[in-house]
Amino acid sequence: MTVAPATRETGALARFGTALRRHKMASLGGGIVVLAALSAIFAPWLSPHDPLEQDVLLRLAGPSADFPLGNDSFGRDILSRILWGGRVSLYVSTASVLIAIVLGGAIGILAGYVGGLFDRIVMAAMDVLLSFPTLVMGLLVVAMLGPTVGNLILAITLTAVAPFARIARAPTLTIKERDFIEAGRALGFSNLRIMIVHILPNVIDEILVMASLWLATAIRTEASLSFIGLGVRPPTATWGGMIREGFENILDQPLLAIFPSIAILVVMFGLNMLGDGLRDTSDPRLRHE
Amino acid sequence: MSGVLLDVQGLSKSFTVRRGFMGGALATVHALNGVSFSIGPGEAFGLVGESGCGKSTAGRAILRLIEADSGTVLFKGESVFAADTGALRRLRRQMQIVFQDPYSSLNPRRTINQTLSEPMRVHGMGSSTEIREAVHAVLGEVGMPSDAAGKYPHEFSGGQRQRIGIARALVLQPELVVADEPVSALDVSIQAQILVLLRNLQQKRNLSFVFISHDLGVVRHFCRSVAVMYLGRIVERGPIPGIFDEPLHPYTRALRNASPVPDPAAKVTMAKLEGEVASALAPPSGCHFHPRCPHATEICRQVYPPWTELSSGRGVACHLYPPEPTGAAPS
Amino acid sequence: MSDASGRELALDVRGLTTEFRINGRWYPAVRDVSFALKRNETLALVGESGCGKSITALSIMGLVPKANGRVAAGQVLLDGRNLLALSEQQMEKIRGGAIAMIFQEPMTSLNPVLPIGFQVAEALRYHTDLSESEAKARALELLQHVKIPSAARRIADYPHQFSGGMRQRVMIAIALACNPRVILADEPTTALDVTIQAQVLALLAELKAETGLAMIFITHNLGVVASIADRVAVMYAGDIVELAEVGELFRRPTHPYTEALLASIPRVDRDAGDLKPIPGQVPPITAMPAGCRYADRCPLREPRCTQESPPLSPLADSAEHFARCWVRAGTGGSAA
Repeated sequence: MTVAPATRETGALARFGTALRRHKMASLGGGIVVLAALSAIFAPWLSPHDPLEQDVLLRLAGPSADFPLGNDSFGRDILSRILWGGRVSLYVSTASVLIAIVLGGAIGILAGYVGGLFDRIVMAAMDVLLSFPTLVMGLLVVAMLGPTVGNLILAITLTAVAPFARIARAPTLTIKERDFIEAGRALGFSNLRIMIVHILPNVIDEILVMASLWLATAIRTEASLSFIGLGVRPPTATWGGMIREGFENILDQPLLAIFPSIAILVVMFGLNMLGDGLRDTSDPRLRHE
Repeated sequence: MSGVLLDVQGLSKSFTVRRGFMGGALATVHALNGVSFSIGPGEAFGLVGESGCGKSTAGRAILRLIEADSGTVLFKGESVFAADTGALRRLRRQMQIVFQDPYSSLNPRRTINQTLSEPMRVHGMGSSTEIREAVHAVLGEVGMPSDAAGKYPHEFSGGQRQRIGIARALVLQPELVVADEPVSALDVSIQAQILVLLRNLQQKRNLSFVFISHDLGVVRHFCRSVAVMYLGRIVERGPIPGIFDEPLHPYTRALRNASPVPDPAAKVTMAKLEGEVASALAPPSGCHFHPRCPHATEICRQVYPPWTELSSGRGVACHLYPPEPTGAAPS
Repeated sequence: MSDASGRELALDVRGLTTEFRINGRWYPAVRDVSFALKRNETLALVGESGCGKSITALSIMGLVPKANGRVAAGQVLLDGRNLLALSEQQMEKIRGGAIAMIFQEPMTSLNPVLPIGFQVAEALRYHTDLSESEAKARALELLQHVKIPSAARRIADYPHQFSGGMRQRVMIAIALACNPRVILADEPTTALDVTIQAQVLALLAELKAETGLAMIFITHNLGVVASIADRVAVMYAGDIVELAEVGELFRRPTHPYTEALLASIPRVDRDAGDLKPIPGQVPPITAMPAGCRYADRCPLREPRCTQESPPLSPLADSAEHFARCWVRAGTGGSAA
């Protein structure tokens, strides 16, 4: 029985767009993520106040007309600090996940395509990296190299590379057996061309699904490290740092800890919804294979 | 006959496989064992046999998609196996492949235009405009509309995808095409369309084919001569239709008799051909076919029959036809 | 239950219509299919992919996927009982019992983690009241009957230890276990090598002769049809377009599709000359034309053909030969 194919596009983003429109949770998640990203990017313009500006008189004040979310223990505007804190989270998580995608993806595709001993050695190395929980890796790196944003990114990237390598390798193993890969070799294509032009686009779906889920992990890790004081140094606003301050003042002003927690919660929720939705909709049904 | 286009001599390839679940014993599969044949320009040569006979492996070894263990392949006198990277790339332009499975042979993420133009771009065959025109031209040649170029594989049926696969094999203007079961995965009525297309292309471009198939009817129709393979070796070779009308090797005869024909009066006969196709892991001693052969004698169990060249371009490896001057053929 | 000539009928299919829901609308994949299967007869259902032959078999067995498929009309009479009206529980008793099915891919039809002897005996234990040891003995008998070499030793082996042809024999043994009256074989030899296919076809013919069972043999290969069938039903786009005794069909292919199909098949026994491929394609199920579904590709097309769908009518000079064609069988008689 022949069924007429449903959609035309197979560019990855176009497909995801179509899929998302049909999948409500993913759309919701996507919306939240976009909103969070925009508010982080435009924080300098959206913030009503300077996030570093202190006002002792307003210590631990609750929400007011001028300061919709209240003030922290230094009198700084919580709303502005949340917006600016989002920038740190956005920057750290996006940078580390991007680097991990490129590195991990390349390693995974290469290992899967070349196979043999090379594959085994590389995957063993990945297994070693996988055995480190992200937080522990973060602690190690920061403790040894110092608590800078760069080192934070390094720490998260190190733990993210291995999962991305795995997630790129698995479909590579299947795809390289497909006839069109052999056709490429028969046509004189170099192995590099085959990996980049032919294997990568067929692997990108899985990578993108993982990317959204790992963004959530990265945000959580950054926040956790900031919470225990090993993240970005104060007075820079970070969500984790704000929660830490909030804990110190929890009896006096619980809102101090609650608002940044909600921010993290909402963004992670959005990313997870997005990731789940992408996973659900990137099945072969959509690829007409 | 203006010379030989492809000359294959002594092609051999073995694979080692691991038997058993975890770290079992290693065993050797002789997928190809001393395969030799030659093809002239514009000639369609068939390779037939059942699963495990090595025909697909032979096709790929000729193109060096699989590295053979030994043997030579000469394309217009040039050695394919000894070619370095640059020479191989040049050779690859002249020898192409068409695959069996239309659903696996095209990259689902690339448009038809990208799939067809990429080989030309990689080999520097013209400007963007020239390449675009060439894509349209080849699509027309295989009977596809021009607007197919902007579409993706999933928008096409199996038969159409097969046409696109053929187009891709043609863009580099090859002289030889290895067609690995090019119509086996297609419906009967589409098979005929593709066979007619291939025949037209062959005549128009003077293409030679190594036509791999398990379907004797298709091979009879398309090929001028054929080699019958069993467990990695050629057991008989000869021109069509003689080899099918009067097969020499008992396996060829069994294969022909077992091939169903659309005529109720010609029921498929078994001719005492019991038994399984022998395992390539443990081929029988002597002539591999002897356990199933109605004419097997003691020597068949002991010694692999030597190749006998008969007149009229026929050759066979069977103790029934020992290589003697008279080469008489008992029926 | 018997047909007009008084010969006993094993299965009587009347007006079977099976539909699938695509994008919210129901489309028939099998349309008004009727045929009578006599005892000890092999009926071949032949056609290309998408013609509905497999769906017909699944409909008879009550195995149409319920998610988006349904049998919309018709009766399937086995001993006077309409199988389509039975409950799932009742059908379970029939499947493997009175009617057995053999599929194309024995590796996916056999459970890879159970020994084949167990799987054969399982069918027996479900449908009969044999004890475990009796069932095991009978399973061994069956495996020997289908000519599995060294059956006693191999009864405990797993499917992956058998070749394709052997696995198919195991499938046949399972199908025969409970002495079915009808076997539905859906492309049972398509995945097999030609010499193995010949063996399996010969085995099926032998078993049929011994037990008098009736068989519906589904295939796309007209050569196989010529080898094994007594009667042939040619299907196209969900309709039976021609129905005849096998010799008669090949001597006088009447429906233009049958004729065209035969003219497009290369043969090993003689030169086919120029193959004449059938132009065009089968229309998609969601866009079936009104009128004759083959009209678009038919060289004999007349205006009437695109307006009204012809019924399956007997030919003027042969009451047992039916064709669905205005031009060649337009007498307007009733279908089988």
